[in-house]
Amino acid sequence: MAAAALCWALRAARQVLPSPCPRQVRSYYVDWRMLRDVKRRKMAHEYADERLRINAIRKNSILPRELQEVADKEIAALPRDSCPVRIRNRCVLTSRPRGVKRRWRLSRIVFRHFADHAQMSGVQRAMW
Amino acid sequence: STSSMLSTDKDKSAASKDSTPEGASKKQEDGAETPKQQLLDIIGNMKVEVSYRKKLQQLKASESKKQALNKLEGPDSEGSVPEGTTEDTQRGKPLNPELVKAASAVASSLPHDKKQTESELLAQLRRHEETTDKQKKGGTINIRNVISEMTVKRQTPAQRSARLSGRISLQLDEDGLRIRPERSSAQSLDSRRYFCCVRFHLKVGKRLNIFTKATEPEHTLKTVSSPTIWDLEFAKEVAAVTAQPPRNGFEEMIQWTKEGILWEFPIDNEVGMEDDAEFHEHIFLDKHLKGFPKEGPIRHFMELVICGLSKNPYLSVKQKVEHIEWFQKYFEEKKELLQEI
Repeated sequence: MAAAALCWALRAARQVLPSPCPRQVRSYYVDWRMLRDVKRRKMAHEYADERLRINAIRKNSILPRELQEVADKEIAALPRDSCPVRIRNRCVLTSRPRGVKRRWRLSRIVFRHFADHAQMSGVQRAMW
Repeated sequence: STSSMLSTDKDKSAASKDSTPEGASKKQEDGAETPKQQLLDIIGNMKVEVSYRKKLQQLKASESKKQALNKLEGPDSEGSVPEGTTEDTQRGKPLNPELVKAASAVASSLPHDKKQTESELLAQLRRHEETTDKQKKGGTINIRNVISEMTVKRQTPAQRSARLSGRISLQLDEDGLRIRPERSSAQSLDSRRYFCCVRFHLKVGKRLNIFTKATEPEHTLKTVSSPTIWDLEFAKEVAAVTAQPPRNGFEEMIQWTKEGILWEFPIDNEVGMEDDAEFHEHIFLDKHLKGFPKEGPIRHFMELVICGLSKNPYLSVKQKVEHIEWFQKYFEEKKELLQEI
């Protein structure tokens, strides 16, 4: 039975472990602003449900106004980084805050670089 | 010159005897290892016996011809081989060289014809060895007894080859771990075919004493303790060592699929989504509204909430229930406030 447990562990490990062939692993974010953006996204994900529900109480014509004022105060009391409005869609590779195309999450410069080297699937230089 | 001729003959036959029984004895030794193999061999040999003997004879003849031209090395022991080797090679048991030497010494000591006495002695030895081996296996396997109980069906050579291949597939294990679910159908088919051909009744008839009763493992109901950290570490180490880098694109894709980087094709739209709830649990959420007051703006509000949730395909039933419960908690906390209004 110990052997069986070991076999099971072996099988599990075999499936889950990555191969020894090395792959590029990024362990740092590009810069501190990107790190802060990441933190904001995480917080926003955490508090998303609560914010939604409190907002549902606020943006209401049925419930009494006092209740809505209380809800206003509550939502203001939540941490600042939890609101989704503070998230900025930065470029994933260069952390550029402007000129980022949403579909690829890349800034225009990086996008152009990759497209010219034919590393963007289905992207071609326009000519008409 | 005659003595030299005799010696060459003996050497030749010695060499041939040594080579052919090796092939035969190996097979028999393998067969002696597991009783299952024994049975398989017996029943397989029932059909194959005749051809096997002929094959052996042919082999022996060809090899003797070859070695007549080759080296005259062979065993140095004088006259270690008798001339009547036909039956002996077919038995295929190599004799203990010491026994052989002893036999030759005895023969030389006796006054009668040395060669004849030697051959007879060695034949006796061989027969003796055979019987001891049979007794070791657990009683002489009387094939007649075995056959008497069985009715054999005629089989085409194609079927037989398929069965042989089935046996081979039974024995081949990948890394010592049987791949049960994939091969189970093939195995069961083969075993069924195999047992169909030899119809014998399980409990009818006298015992044959071919199999020894296997002692049951004493630890049948030991609770499986979760593998220790060391076990896991060892398993990880072994997996890391044995995992080879992918040889081609297909293996790379397999690896990626295992890691979860690549989806499984054909694409299953409901991967990760395991909603076991029926549609009515999603839509009819009125039962969760029992904690709320029956009239008033709150009820109105909650009914709107439920209407919205029932139309939401993205949330699971659990999440919807949680949603409603949160509101319940929230309104209970604000009860004093609501009383003032």
